[in-house]
Amino acid sequence: MIIKNKLAKWMFGSTFLTAMFVPAMALAEEAATTGGTDYRVGVAKAIAAGASMSISALSAGYAQSRIGAAGAGTLAERPEAGTFLIVLQALPEIIVLLGFVIAFMIGTAE
Amino acid sequence: MSTAVATRRVGTGGRDYGYSNARVRGMRSRLFKQAFLEDLMKSEDLAAVIQALMQTEYRPDLEARLLHGHTAAQVDLALKDNMVRTFRKVMSLSNDEAQNLLTTLLGRWDLFNIKTIIRGKHMNLSSDEIVESMVAAGQLESVDLEELSKQPTVKAVVDTLATWGMPFAVPLRAAMPEYTESGNLAVLELAVDKYYFDWASKRLRGRNQNKALSRRFLGTQVDTINLLTCIRLLNADLGEEDPLRFFIPGGLKVDEALFADLANKSDVDEVYERLKRTPYGRPVEQVAVKYVESGSVSVFERALEDYMMRQAFAVGRGEPLGVGIIVSYLWMKSNEVTNLRIIVKGVSVGMPESRMREELIIV
Repeated sequence: MIIKNKLAKWMFGSTFLTAMFVPAMALAEEAATTGGTDYRVGVAKAIAAGASMSISALSAGYAQSRIGAAGAGTLAERPEAGTFLIVLQALPEIIVLLGFVIAFMIGTAE
Repeated sequence: MSTAVATRRVGTGGRDYGYSNARVRGMRSRLFKQAFLEDLMKSEDLAAVIQALMQTEYRPDLEARLLHGHTAAQVDLALKDNMVRTFRKVMSLSNDEAQNLLTTLLGRWDLFNIKTIIRGKHMNLSSDEIVESMVAAGQLESVDLEELSKQPTVKAVVDTLATWGMPFAVPLRAAMPEYTESGNLAVLELAVDKYYFDWASKRLRGRNQNKALSRRFLGTQVDTINLLTCIRLLNADLGEEDPLRFFIPGGLKVDEALFADLANKSDVDEVYERLKRTPYGRPVEQVAVKYVESGSVSVFERALEDYMMRQAFAVGRGEPLGVGIIVSYLWMKSNEVTNLRIIVKGVSVGMPESRMREELIIV
């Protein structure tokens, strides 16, 4: 499905995230209050960790694609800026690392 | 007629300006600084200028042209070649939207070339003389322009344009009977001017910010032309002719009413008074003293051209991922080439440095 409208894209995205995370939080809360371990908590945690990792990776990919395009343009005209461009190209990796750390924290949470 | 871009297309589709703007910024960083032009003006002779330019990106064009002789005319042609090559390179790396906008804005070079050919044919100049004055920076390439300049008469030029399906043929054909009858070249020039600006403003319609920016820039160009016409009309005796005939629609600030008002003024002071509240008041005021000293309206022409050039430079200071960066670079490059041509001519004829500095556009 191709969504062309920007507002529709945002609404779709936020609804999707809400639909994913609200049940996960509700389950975690329920499990905490009842003191028991529900298999659904594990599933929810896996979904949340996966979302954290994949969204951050996609965001970093988007950022790197834009930086890469501009970097390729700069490199064609000013090859001396190569080292600086590699640093810029690597910067969005931090977003993935943060996503990975959060996914790890979700996965190991009690 | 060949209208394909000679250089291989590397630009991205759609509206991604990341790649093209980064390249253009890189190219902009290689434009000459004021200090370089100052040194060039201090050169003893043409050989020294050529030697200095050989260390720059003008080298390949100079090498190709200097095979025909180390003359100012050949250096001049090399500078123009470099400009055309740069324009085509920028076009080739631009995205679809930028290509469309640039083709529209660079149509003024086609307009300039067609007017040059028509003027040349009207004055019975030779094909070589006409070709030397042209800059193939628009859609019409050098081969097309050479072919047009070889046509025997103005009518043959218009017919060739019509055969190629060039839009400029439409207004020229319509104005041809009047030209044939009166022999007045202004009829053809005015028709083609009006047609271009009408065609360009139609192509730049839309709410997109890049289109809006290009439209504003085109509007400034129209205003400048209209004001120049008004200033020229101050000393002209039109007789019964309606001055509004010379008005080109599509300007930003100079509308039909203001044009009619300005065209009826009798001296420059009145024109300035009327323009005071528009952005054009300042450039006119700045050169008013010069005008009183020299008595020539060319100082106003120069001031308005400088203003237009400054506006072109300013469009690059906005959105970093928009077409403004590319537009401003192309005008900067054209300005640099014009300045270099002035220096080359000046040094070759032994013009004093101060006079050359006066002639330079914006450094």
